[in-house]
Amino acid sequence: MSAETLRSALFWVFATLSLSLAWSVVGNRRLLRAAVALMGVLGCSAAFYALLGFGFLAGIQILVYVGGIVVLLVFLVMLTRTQALLEDEPTPWRHKVGVVAAVGFFVVNLWALASLPDAAVQGPVLGGDTRAIGRALLDAGPQGYVLPFEAVSVLLLAALVGGIAVARKVDVAALPPAEANHG
Amino acid sequence: MAELLHAGGSGLHAWLLVTSALFSLGIYGLLTRRNAVGILLSLELCLNAAAVQFAVFNALRAPGRVDGAVMALFVVAVAAAEVVVGMALFVLLYSQRRTVDVTELTGDGRDSAGGPP
Repeated sequence: MSAETLRSALFWVFATLSLSLAWSVVGNRRLLRAAVALMGVLGCSAAFYALLGFGFLAGIQILVYVGGIVVLLVFLVMLTRTQALLEDEPTPWRHKVGVVAAVGFFVVNLWALASLPDAAVQGPVLGGDTRAIGRALLDAGPQGYVLPFEAVSVLLLAALVGGIAVARKVDVAALPPAEANHG
Repeated sequence: MAELLHAGGSGLHAWLLVTSALFSLGIYGLLTRRNAVGILLSLELCLNAAAVQFAVFNALRAPGRVDGAVMALFVVAVAAAEVVVGMALFVLLYSQRRTVDVTELTGDGRDSAGGPP
């Protein structure tokens, strides 16, 4: 079994796993299970990055997405737990709209992308891309990304402060009556 | 089987098929979920599919460069910020209305919050 065949086989294994777990994310009536399935989808995406040769991205995907963002989402599911633990099946109208939009996007996207010439992945699995990504991120030249890099750091700080400001407990009883009416 | 794997391969079209299907599933979830947290989960699916597609185009159309990988990193950072803000909003919403069902979020919520009419 050559390396290319092995790479194809791994790709199809992770693709199948990823799609079935993604179906569970959107279809499972228990949100906590959907969140765990999302963790699996993101893990499969980390495997995709590794197969594409981006070892650094695969590590970041596991560290930040699976380890950070999904944990936040699980907390969110637990914090907003309602009496009705199970989500209802979507009404036929919503189901129909969802299917039409999803299939429509899929068909149009494939139609637009089908004209591209086929290509295969070159280079090793889990290639060493860390140095190149680091240089691109901190490059101030015309091909560099230092401005968006700094903008993302400001965005993360703003999200942090904004999140705390929004979710802070506001004592409605302590407000003046007029404000309490409006709030 | 090995023939099929070689012929079908893991070429550009196969990658795009998978990422497009992931994004479409995310769209379906966005439109059918009633729970706001479920909508956020579906949105994560869409963002992740887009990030993988960036990496796919980088690796298969422009090998030797890392622009798509850098974009995927930015998508991860933006997703983190989005989840933080979404979490704050939904926790606030839940503390005021005791529900995150988006189909029940009509009106100004004074009735359900027990405030003055």
